[in-house]
Amino acid sequence: MDELDNQKLTLVARKPCFGLPTACPSCLPVYIYLRFAQVPFDLSFNLIHPDSDQIPYIESGAYVAYNNEKGGVLESLKEDGIIDLDSQLHAIPEWLSMKVMISTWLEEAIMYELWVCSDGSSAKKIYYSDLPWPIGNILYFKQIHAVKQLLGITKDNAERREEEIRRRATIAYGALSTRLGEQTFFFENRPSGVDALFLGHALFTLQALPDTSVLRSKLLEHSNLVQYAEKLKTEFMEAGSSSSSVPRFPAEPSSSTSRRGPSNWSSKAKSKPKREKTEEEKTFRRRAKYFLVTQLVAVLVFLSLLGVSGGDNEVDLDDEDDDYNY
Amino acid sequence: MALKENQEEPPISENPNGDEEGGEESQADGVGDFEDEDEDEAEEEDEEEEAGSEKSRLAEDGSKLESMFRRLASEKVKLRVHDVLIKGNTKTKDSLIEAELEAIKNATTMQELLKAAGIANHRFHSFGIFDSVGITLDCGPPELPGTVNVIVDVVETKNPLTGDLGIFTKPEARTWSLEGSLKLKNLFGYGDLWDGSLVYGWDQSSEISAGVSLPRFKGMVTPMLARVSLLSQDWLKFSSYKERSLGLNLGLISTKRHDLTYNLLWRTLTDPSQMSSRAVRRQLGHGLLSSLKYTFRIDNRNSVLRPTQGYAFISTSQIGGLVPDYRSLRFLRQEIDLRCAIPLGFYRTALNLGISGGVIFPWGNGALSMPSSLPERFFLGGNSSPVCTLGGPTTLLGFKSRGLGPTEPRRLIRDKSNGENSETSGRDVIGGDLAVTAFADLSFDLPLKLFRDAGIHGHVFACAGNLTKLTEKEFRKFSFQKFLDSFRSSAGFGIIVPTKLFRMEVNYCYILKQFEHDHGRTGVQFSFSAT
Repeated sequence: MDELDNQKLTLVARKPCFGLPTACPSCLPVYIYLRFAQVPFDLSFNLIHPDSDQIPYIESGAYVAYNNEKGGVLESLKEDGIIDLDSQLHAIPEWLSMKVMISTWLEEAIMYELWVCSDGSSAKKIYYSDLPWPIGNILYFKQIHAVKQLLGITKDNAERREEEIRRRATIAYGALSTRLGEQTFFFENRPSGVDALFLGHALFTLQALPDTSVLRSKLLEHSNLVQYAEKLKTEFMEAGSSSSSVPRFPAEPSSSTSRRGPSNWSSKAKSKPKREKTEEEKTFRRRAKYFLVTQLVAVLVFLSLLGVSGGDNEVDLDDEDDDYNY
Repeated sequence: MALKENQEEPPISENPNGDEEGGEESQADGVGDFEDEDEDEAEEEDEEEEAGSEKSRLAEDGSKLESMFRRLASEKVKLRVHDVLIKGNTKTKDSLIEAELEAIKNATTMQELLKAAGIANHRFHSFGIFDSVGITLDCGPPELPGTVNVIVDVVETKNPLTGDLGIFTKPEARTWSLEGSLKLKNLFGYGDLWDGSLVYGWDQSSEISAGVSLPRFKGMVTPMLARVSLLSQDWLKFSSYKERSLGLNLGLISTKRHDLTYNLLWRTLTDPSQMSSRAVRRQLGHGLLSSLKYTFRIDNRNSVLRPTQGYAFISTSQIGGLVPDYRSLRFLRQEIDLRCAIPLGFYRTALNLGISGGVIFPWGNGALSMPSSLPERFFLGGNSSPVCTLGGPTTLLGFKSRGLGPTEPRRLIRDKSNGENSETSGRDVIGGDLAVTAFADLSFDLPLKLFRDAGIHGHVFACAGNLTKLTEKEFRKFSFQKFLDSFRSSAGFGIIVPTKLFRMEVNYCYILKQFEHDHGRTGVQFSFSAT
């Protein structure tokens, strides 16, 4: 890390929205990785190059690590000896397979949700809202075409491919949920590259995709994964702002565009507390119902023991569980 | 006699085989009643024919013509245009030709009529769609005295499709270019000229474009030009970026002194080398440029390639960001050129002095801390002659293309094999927001007659120039003294060889002052510009 002695790291990523520090699904894991490593860095935004495969990139003085070299930014950082959170994890066979599963199956699922099966409002907001309208639209349609080619989707096999992508995402979520269990991190109780990748994916799915998204609902079925995401977000991304300067958008003027940032940020911030409140409410209701049911059972058992005939007092708790999908 | 206006011939020509029905005489006298004079002259002619002498008839014609010229020179010969007839146009619309004849229709004297006819003929020729145009003035109907009929005879081009290949230099281009084009003339009969062209420029630029030019569009006097082009320019060697733009260019007003064009451009900057410096990295991406450019030009020098007398002044103003969309590129750009040629009297020696300056600044919210758009900035360097090049501050003899000004270090690639950091791989030239160049050039004929006849001449010159950044709050640190102190300069001498295809200069340049990271080279240099 010799070149970093004098210069601070700067991460150049796409714009923040949906309550995320950077809303692009390929930039968010890099941001989280840097937060996990507790390395101070500046965040800068590129608003005018949505079709670049160089972004996200990390620069420090004259050193630059682009995303389209050496397998990605995170791999470049490891290879150049700057940050490596996975130094002892290569030996664990599961580590590589989890990493590959997230980088392929889950990434494809996100691409599908963002570009193919939705109305494009999320994608347009993240990538094209700071480009003039005609350019933004042309690039958007170009990107849809490119994604369909990449995912191998044609008119004939569209349904089949959709099913395959969704099935793989389901399997991946199941495997990750099993692997995680009740732990805080996936491996050795400390943050690793796999955590950064999955947390980025999970936060994007939960916050940036619309409520009607199938992928989002599949993720919500695994409560431990959702709790994992919420917990790490609170711990690393909201509380720990002393270890890095995350500037309020717009940061350094990386392009001669957008001044509408602040209003975007605040409107997304408003919707975030609303959602949290709803989940808290649901948890409260669930717990309250459990409590009431337990009380009722206790009363009934007492009455039956006292000799009053109870008859069919069994309450089926399973039905109530079904009401609370989260 | 019918009085003919023809492009090749002098304004007034005599048709030796003209009608003998007194037409000549009626034009000659002009005043009063043509009918009476017709009768008189017809009698005279009958008498002469009876005399049967060709020579005396010619002498008679000559004296009549003389008296006509005398009258035209001394008095206003009043007449009225009765009718205008257009012949020969199968494809071209009448309205296009009639629009040029307004001045002719409104002429009240012979002198006005001849002048208007000359101008109209020149205009028709400039359309480029006629092989030849003849304007004939004939006497009006016998019952209406003092009237003239104007007959316009056009011969349309037989082959509407032409091809062209050549070396050109456009005003906005910085170097010369090889251009191949196909032109389609008068497709719809409105004098429309369609062309498609492929241009390859010396500065690694290539362009494919198609355009249309309408001489008269909805009553506007000047021609209207529209051009769609796809341009690709490679600046990887100098500034680590490649520029690609798809644009629409509309020429709204184009006269000798004024030029107004509108540009709508989708520009993309990329860096396939992945070596760019920070300043360039921040500008990579897409941008929309919507700008209006106004050029005011006065150039009364006696020659463009070797001016020995006169002066020139050009001011170009450009404003970008004319769409309500705040996300398009917003800037103000101003360039000024001043040239002056002073003849010194011996050996066709002339002293040419010139100064060019330019400034660019973004406007809009937060403009003071924003950088200017990289392709719109000023770059100095290159070997094109400052005497002939008019288009803002661009050249400084002795310095390579984009060879001076602010630079930034490129990306550093770590060499793992030797364990140490490798040398930085060069610097990117990032241009400046304020540029000034000045030169003094003394040109003279060479003693050998052979050289003089061929147009080969010599020159001694001195140039100076400077480039600095003003945006991103750098203007607060700007001081004139510092700017003057950091001027680069060069001097030298050379020979200029004009050929049919291009103009070649062989110069020996000596760099008087340059700074670290500039690319000035003392030595012999060649430069070419299109003639």
